[in-house]
Amino acid sequence: MLLNSLRQCARAMSTATQPYPFSKLAKIPPVLPSTSTMPREPLLKGKGLMQHLTETLATPQKRNWLHTYFARRHPLRIHPGSVLTVGLAHAPTIFSGVLLSVRRRGLDTSFVLRNVINRTGVEMQFYVCSPHLKSIKILQRAATKTSRSGPRIRRVKLYYLRDSPEKMTAISAGVRG
Amino acid sequence: MIGLKSTLNVIDNSGALLIECVNVLKQKVNNGWGSVGDEIVCVVKNARPMPEGLPNGIKVRRGDVRRAVIVRTKKAVRRPDGRFIRFDDNAAVLLNNKRELLGTRIGGIVSADLRMKGWAKVISLAPKVV
Repeated sequence: MLLNSLRQCARAMSTATQPYPFSKLAKIPPVLPSTSTMPREPLLKGKGLMQHLTETLATPQKRNWLHTYFARRHPLRIHPGSVLTVGLAHAPTIFSGVLLSVRRRGLDTSFVLRNVINRTGVEMQFYVCSPHLKSIKILQRAATKTSRSGPRIRRVKLYYLRDSPEKMTAISAGVRG
Repeated sequence: MIGLKSTLNVIDNSGALLIECVNVLKQKVNNGWGSVGDEIVCVVKNARPMPEGLPNGIKVRRGDVRRAVIVRTKKAVRRPDGRFIRFDDNAAVLLNNKRELLGTRIGGIVSADLRMKGWAKVISLAPKVV
């Protein structure tokens, strides 16, 4: 009896908005406000579906990244030639490297990091909106017309770094020092 | 994407330096191309004169036909979460006919996709797995 009253108190304090009429023990998770409203009528027919997905499918943090770090014109965008450290959900949990290229396709935006590990070059391509990508940390930004720090890069895609290890060490020397 | 006539570096201490692929085993998908974690039959093209560290005096000489498992490829390999990984060279580790390693040490990074194909022994010996 005491347990029942405790349960009722707990249920009253929970964040559930609608009681479930068929069971007193059922747990009702809190409903997010965006999903509780019905979608607009054109959307139900399929019009504007891709734009709706672009706005809602990624988490807010990822959408923020797409708007700032990987946008074409933003003061905080990451230029190729910057050194990033990426935190992942699975092994290897951390991967750092020089940003070689950013492939901008909305939700499918991806970027390639290059690193030299044990005298072997490794390149990894990460998708920004993947749930496995946990964090992006910028170790060193590349030089632009406004900022002077970091190496001076005059290309958008830095595939020439694959053939010149001395330029890679020149970029990475700035990070350690 | 390793096929006939592809050369791979050998990164263990079995004595071989460069091997050339002759056949990719058990490959019914991928059009016969080998990738990370696939077993290949290969010919040793270059070998070190005196391999040290081998248990029972197995000498790998130039012209030997051995088996190997691919550990790094220059062609990008897709991970299940959509990431791609690509190395700067193709590399392999020599095996005997019973899928056991010939060398005792591995000197270089290997791809983590080996774990999914069942080569946990190679991963445990590797200094770094990416």
